[in-house]
Amino acid sequence: MRWSDLLRMSISSLKRRRLRTFLTVLGVVIGTASIVVMISLGLGLQQSMYEEVEQNGGTTSLTVTGKQANDMYMYAAMAEGEEQSDKYITDEVIEELRGLEHVKSANPVLNVSAIALKGGYMAYINLYGMSAEELESRNFELKPGGRLPDPDSQELELVYGNMVIQDFMEESTGKGYWETGELPDIDLEHDSVFLILDQDGYFASQDTVSAGMSEAAGETGPETSGQKKAPKKYVVRASGVMEGDGINDYNANSWSVFCDIDILKSCLQKEFRGRAIPGQPTTQSGKPYKQFVYTSASVQADDMEHVEELTTTIRSLGYDVTSNIEYINSMKKQFAMVQAVLGGIGAVSLFVAAIGIANTMMMSIYERTKEIGVMKVIGCGLKNIRQMFLLEAGFIGFMGGIVGNLLSLLMSVVINALVSGQSMGIGGSLSYIPVWLVGASLVFAVLVGMAAGYFPALRAMKLSPLAAIRNE
Amino acid sequence: MKSVIQVNDLYKLYRVGDSYVRALDGVSFEIREGEFCAIVGTSGSGKSTLLNMLAGLEKPTKGEVIIDGHHIEGLKEDELVRFRRENVGFIFQSFHLIGTMDAVENVALPLTFRGVARRIRTEKAERMLDMVSLSRHKKHLPNQMSGGQQQRVGVARALVSDPRIIFADEPTGNLDSHTSEDVMNLMKRVVQEQGRTLVMVTHDDHLAEYADRVFHIIDGRIVKIEERTGAAPRRKEREHESI
Repeated sequence: MRWSDLLRMSISSLKRRRLRTFLTVLGVVIGTASIVVMISLGLGLQQSMYEEVEQNGGTTSLTVTGKQANDMYMYAAMAEGEEQSDKYITDEVIEELRGLEHVKSANPVLNVSAIALKGGYMAYINLYGMSAEELESRNFELKPGGRLPDPDSQELELVYGNMVIQDFMEESTGKGYWETGELPDIDLEHDSVFLILDQDGYFASQDTVSAGMSEAAGETGPETSGQKKAPKKYVVRASGVMEGDGINDYNANSWSVFCDIDILKSCLQKEFRGRAIPGQPTTQSGKPYKQFVYTSASVQADDMEHVEELTTTIRSLGYDVTSNIEYINSMKKQFAMVQAVLGGIGAVSLFVAAIGIANTMMMSIYERTKEIGVMKVIGCGLKNIRQMFLLEAGFIGFMGGIVGNLLSLLMSVVINALVSGQSMGIGGSLSYIPVWLVGASLVFAVLVGMAAGYFPALRAMKLSPLAAIRNE
Repeated sequence: MKSVIQVNDLYKLYRVGDSYVRALDGVSFEIREGEFCAIVGTSGSGKSTLLNMLAGLEKPTKGEVIIDGHHIEGLKEDELVRFRRENVGFIFQSFHLIGTMDAVENVALPLTFRGVARRIRTEKAERMLDMVSLSRHKKHLPNQMSGGQQQRVGVARALVSDPRIIFADEPTGNLDSHTSEDVMNLMKRVVQEQGRTLVMVTHDDHLAEYADRVFHIIDGRIVKIEERTGAAPRRKEREHESI
């Protein structure tokens, strides 16, 4: 028999019993929809995790750290029992990292703390110097009108995290947002602030009395020493501020300030000419190294699959590596479990629907015993009879799958609309239906239908043709 | 003349409680090509069992059925289906048309099972319906036709696949006498025109008069074979030697 004929006969016998077909399909619709919606919730959670990771530097990024110049870090790290790397991250190392397999890009990151002054306010800020390419890859969401720092500019340009504003304290009282409950009246987007890189120098010049006392004897006077040591105040403007209000919209970059690494480097070198830059390692005699040492290197792998391999490679070179991959892997396991549980709940209803299909097919076979017998007598192959009933059951599954998917898409839209009304701190949507889920659930529904129809079909195949020509 | 069906020493035993009932008790005969044979007997005589075995619907307990040189008593079910599809046409007492299909589709059904393209089989089915004078009922569903019309569709369906042998099981059992005559004449005409072998089972002696040869069966044994040939029926009776 031809497939087109088999299909036509199956569909016509489904059409013959419209109501029963409709009810059976309805069961599959509910089953499919519950599976798809449940899994879509799990996928939505996973999706928002990925988005969070993306803000944290993405799934393919690795942070490579070397030996830290600051002793404090060293002790902290050793207390945790981690192996401390004995190599510094220098330009040469960056080049070496770039040469590794699976590395898409490698860029240095320089992290210094600095003081920002504005009006009567003062803030300790965490300043990250990064290359333009690196800044680009961080995908900051800036407020309208904002842009990333211009690497060709002579001046430092800053990108503020949206929560940096909370760092500003009244200089006179030392009270910040947490004490006063009010955000300082500073417009970071448009106002320029004074940036002081040499914190020790700043305090030394501020507190002349203590400075004077601590100075070795022989200093001529506090004024001159203060004058001499007063560090340069850089007037800097913001090139952009991150999207989000200053209190609630936390993301991984909210508390940080970003600028171009080369400009920051040259500022530091100018500022601390002849002295050791804080955070830079020094030789035994307190002299700085010839090479500039970065805080860390940010490495992008070419693919998520290679992150782990790359991590091992870089570790074997003697550096510390942190990436999101471990976090992702553990989260992935959790989400797989969540999805399995949710999908399992949905699967129960599809299972019930499968029983419905089996029942419908059994009924249909009892009703059509005679017809099946006649077909066998006039030469319908056993295989064809089985195919006919399998097709019928599969078609029920197929229709249920299609309608069920449409229903779940609709439900997904409704769920997302309801949830987005409240801010739950979850990025993206709660329910997410990818194309593969639609396809897979459709195939699954058809398979379930056919599995449910298999034994009835087998039964139809084995029916004795004699039953048909027996005259009752 | 060449023999199409050859039956040798056929037994069929049914188990009823502790004892066995012999539905067929050693039957042997031969049917020649182009013959119109009637198997006549009362109900319970074993005539339907015999027909079922000729068509491969039932397996004999013992003995052999040779059709066109092929033993069919040992075939598996799917082989039997193929055998029927290629060689056999069926006419049923209660017509057994598929209720959801119109006349043309019903007639074309055996061709559908053979995998014939839709256009070709529809063409052929329509020719068959013309032949049984149902040109005006091609699009009718079975329940829109009278019994006689339905049986004519049944005859057309049995003939559409050009089978060598046609089995008819009480083909007029559900028809009134007038319609019966129509259908019998149609069957006889077609068999003669197209040279097919027709094996009919009936309990009605009157209907048996249409046949070239009549097998009388009582209690599972063929007791008498009547032979009539030519336009003027010449009765030549002889006692069948029972085994």
